[in-house]
Amino acid sequence: MRARGSGLHALVGAYVLDAVSEADRASFERHLPTCEQCQQDVRGLREAAARLAEASAVSPRPELRDQTLRAAAMIRQQPPLVVSQKRAFLAGRRWHISQPAGAGARPWLARVALTAAVVLAITASVFGLHLSSMQGRLSAAEQRDAAIATVLGAHDATTLTAKVSTGGRATVVMSHRERALVFIASGLTRLPAAQAYELWLMSPTGVTPAGMLPPARKGMSGPMVVYKLAPGEQLALTVEPATGARHPTSVPVVLVALGS
Amino acid sequence: MAGGDRADGIPQGRPGGEARRDGLELILAQVAKGDHAAFSTVYDQAAPAVLGIVRRVLRDPAQSEEVMQEVLLEIWRTAARFDPSSGSAAAWIMTIAHRRAVDRVRTEQRAAERELRAATASIAYDEVSDAALTSLEHQRVRHCLDGLTDLQRESVTLAYYGGYSYREVAQLLGVAVGTVKTRMRDGLIRLRDCLGVE
Repeated sequence: MRARGSGLHALVGAYVLDAVSEADRASFERHLPTCEQCQQDVRGLREAAARLAEASAVSPRPELRDQTLRAAAMIRQQPPLVVSQKRAFLAGRRWHISQPAGAGARPWLARVALTAAVVLAITASVFGLHLSSMQGRLSAAEQRDAAIATVLGAHDATTLTAKVSTGGRATVVMSHRERALVFIASGLTRLPAAQAYELWLMSPTGVTPAGMLPPARKGMSGPMVVYKLAPGEQLALTVEPATGARHPTSVPVVLVALGS
Repeated sequence: MAGGDRADGIPQGRPGGEARRDGLELILAQVAKGDHAAFSTVYDQAAPAVLGIVRRVLRDPAQSEEVMQEVLLEIWRTAARFDPSSGSAAAWIMTIAHRRAVDRVRTEQRAAERELRAATASIAYDEVSDAALTSLEHQRVRHCLDGLTDLQRESVTLAYYGGYSYREVAQLLGVAVGTVKTRMRDGLIRLRDCLGVE
């Protein structure tokens, strides 16, 4: 037992240098919670390794900064560990750096978000949108983050903008390839509590509800993702009862032809 | 570990280093609350070192930029999971960066590419021509690396900068696997003591 423990302890350098196999890493991390000395060594040696990294510092190209910051605004953050989780985490997982639920397992999301950030940066500069003001809504649903990123990052993404007749401006970023669009509006007229804005997809064959706009935050409504676009449809926004309607009950305040 | 017993005149702490480190922990706590301005500060402080280490491991500049951005975004995502009791913010960030770079190498690099990389490693090692070379930090690390035995230094740098596993390092250096493991540990310990980090 002692021999086994000290054998693992000898691995601490290779472990900190990420020079171990998956199997070695797993057995070392199983050993760690039971070995106070190993934990202390890992802490200290990681500080030393970090200095090796810092000694290699190079300046990133300036444009990467903006791209990264914009991409971050589209990515939902993980919540802190609550106490019961934290105990389990401290017991077993504290030393793991890659977490299965983290971005580590899904680098594609980060990549898509980066692409999207570039597109959105252009959109933002043209239409005066600010990612920071959208971030609150975006973080409400991680899946939607990915959908938005996918649309904004699509090769055929196009941006349309239209004045809203009752005030404000609507912006649509659309990808026919992804058959989806992202809708954002700014400066819409505030509605009484009993009313809300509703989106519709209108085609020659009928009208389909495309979702209720949540109340504006800092003057920004959306983003909303609308899926299953068909060629030749139009996107409409109407004022409806706050509970929503099955068919439009008023004249659209904005109508955007989506093309084909 | 702040061995103040060294007599070679190399300062033990970087100027303002500790304050900056404490700062980064506090800034990270702000990032955990969704503070974008704080995140931009983390970017400014950490991105150069992240890019530096990722580039050393990956070599490919475009791929390195991509991984650097992924690392920064992972920091944004998981800032709330940073636990100050397990080390400094800088160590946490560099651990993520190095792990990510090595994972990328291991999953994507075909055997043939690895051969090529080994052949060009010695050229690329000195290619870092940035201000880093003349920075105090770089010189201190250089100095401390020089204090290691050859086998310790080669074991540590091939693993950390080269992204090689200890088995690969053993093969490259023609020594036993067990020897490489202990040289990596002893080399890092000596480096830690020389740098005065804890």
